[in-house]
Amino acid sequence: MYAGVDAGASATKVVIIDENENIISHAIVPSGINFKTSSNEALKRALEKPGLSRKDVLYVVSTGYGRELVDSHKVFSEITCISHGVHKLFPSVRTIIDVGGQDSKAIRVDEKGRVIDFVMNDKCAAGTGRFLEVMASILGKPIDELGVLHFKSLDPVKISSTCTVFAESEVISHVSKGCKVEDVIAGLHNAIAERIFSMSNRIGFEREIALTGGVAKNPGFVEALSKKIGFSLILPREPQIMCAFGAALLARKHFMERV
Amino acid sequence: MSERKGRSRVLQATKKIGELILEYFAKASDHKARGKPVAWVTVFTPVELLHALSVFPVAPEHFGAMCSARNFIMEYLEEAEKRGYSQNLCSYSRCCLGYALSGMSGLMPPPDILITFRNSCDVYVKWWQSLQAHLGTPLFVGEAPYVLAPEDLENYVLDYVVKQLMDLIEIVEEKFKLKFDEEKLVEAVKLSDKASELWLEALKLRSNKPCPLGGRDSASDIFPLVIMQGTVEAVQFYEELLREVRGKVEKREGVIENEKYRLLFDGIWLWYAFDLIKYFEDKGAVFVYEPYSEAWAYRLDASKPLESVAKKVLAMGLNMDIDLRVEKFLKSIKEFDIDGAVLFSNRSCKSWSAPQLVTAEIIGSKYDVPYLIFEADMADPRQYAEAQIKNRIDAFIEVLRERSCTRE
Repeated sequence: MYAGVDAGASATKVVIIDENENIISHAIVPSGINFKTSSNEALKRALEKPGLSRKDVLYVVSTGYGRELVDSHKVFSEITCISHGVHKLFPSVRTIIDVGGQDSKAIRVDEKGRVIDFVMNDKCAAGTGRFLEVMASILGKPIDELGVLHFKSLDPVKISSTCTVFAESEVISHVSKGCKVEDVIAGLHNAIAERIFSMSNRIGFEREIALTGGVAKNPGFVEALSKKIGFSLILPREPQIMCAFGAALLARKHFMERV
Repeated sequence: MSERKGRSRVLQATKKIGELILEYFAKASDHKARGKPVAWVTVFTPVELLHALSVFPVAPEHFGAMCSARNFIMEYLEEAEKRGYSQNLCSYSRCCLGYALSGMSGLMPPPDILITFRNSCDVYVKWWQSLQAHLGTPLFVGEAPYVLAPEDLENYVLDYVVKQLMDLIEIVEEKFKLKFDEEKLVEAVKLSDKASELWLEALKLRSNKPCPLGGRDSASDIFPLVIMQGTVEAVQFYEELLREVRGKVEKREGVIENEKYRLLFDGIWLWYAFDLIKYFEDKGAVFVYEPYSEAWAYRLDASKPLESVAKKVLAMGLNMDIDLRVEKFLKSIKEFDIDGAVLFSNRSCKSWSAPQLVTAEIIGSKYDVPYLIFEADMADPRQYAEAQIKNRIDAFIEVLRERSCTRE
């Protein structure tokens, strides 16, 4: 067995694969403030499900913000891991957009899944999952409900600020003016989609285009982004673990090269 | 990254820079103490003229870089911000204004005259005017028309700059009751030219594999050329440096033991984050070319000193057409066998950062050289997101590695 550990800014993901690169199990836990603890916990949970133990894992690759803090044999950036993961499942994909807790990225890959170019968001939180978390808490809605409420909106508001702090006051002002919560939510999804669209535009939108990362689980955002780009997006069944899956594939590859 | 963290080698010459800078500031203070004038100049001012007038030039931009590198810039940045200067302004200007507003008791002696040329940076004139307003110090602003082809300057353009240099001489002579010494100008021009020649020669040797002079060296060793042009000390420094670099080439001794990727770096270095250069080197990547390192190297002709100095005022990189910049980039890619380009989009320096995308796209398309653009500030450490930048660097190195595997 091989493990990929993606110690992300908000969640730590672990994927276990077998010799044939099949996903055996996965686990997602909040990262908290200690990547070592959260990655051990995620690994434990992922191994528990199929009744495996740490000894069954031959090689571990870590990635994500806490990558250097995780017990692993080798470390790769998220860019490389995501590309490997997506290419394995969707070899026709040429553009990958990943929206995570603290950053978003767009990656261009070739027909072999190799990274040709990539861009990442600048250092502010706009255009990331964190932005939506902040807004959900202002609106008093659980983050999982945003996607559903989005589709109730008939008249999305316009959020013009890209700064999380300024957007926060914009949201408050819309709500206090009596705008419907669903219209504000749709407006927020449009704002992030806009932001990610401009960022990704530098490397272009060669098809097929896949969307990964935790925020891809929000159907409202997915709709806003695919509308903005003008193409439908390929969505893995569990978009949040693509990076950890890629890390697990790299773990297998490097273990094989070693022996 | 699991690459072995080899020890990178910094030149012996580079280790002496700190001392050289302290000596230089001590000389400036000494000059002032003897009742002679000190000028605060922007870094593309022809200081050779000032040497011929016995005016000691110091450069607040360099002072800002030094404060940032030595980790005491916050004191001055906060002073400027306390007075209402926005964090969005250039960090060199904020550092300088903060210093000026807090008594100027540090290394850089207070100015007797402020001199700037409108030849590279957008902020210079307003920044120098603000200093004038705060300190009441006399101000000289020189103009430099935009240059399309430095080798083919129109006479009227050159005459215009020469005339201004003569004005500057006259103003200083009158103001401080000093006499311009033409022999001293010729001497300063010769020394300036020599320092440039030696430095350019050393930079050229970076085309060797392994590269003998790395990013840490070039980022530091540029200083004598920035602030000490026209001095014997600068020439001596570069003579020693060149000797050392030649020795390294002979011994095939590189900056790092296992050189895998040769990179171009575009921009001013992040002075508070020299360890970032080591971060690249630990991954087998070495910087072999930076347009910044050549920015002050200019060959002068001592037989036409004033005209030659005027040409230098005009030929500063940011005063020239973007095509010339692109051309330099393209040439360097072949000459130094560059595998990738790292472009630092500097929040402080819009003139430098604005054309980066165009430049990067051209080199990317002509030579298929991958590039990385990251954002931070040259001197303000608060604008630096270390984890995010390192994340991008890791991904970029993986792209380079993947490409080199494919080529093999």
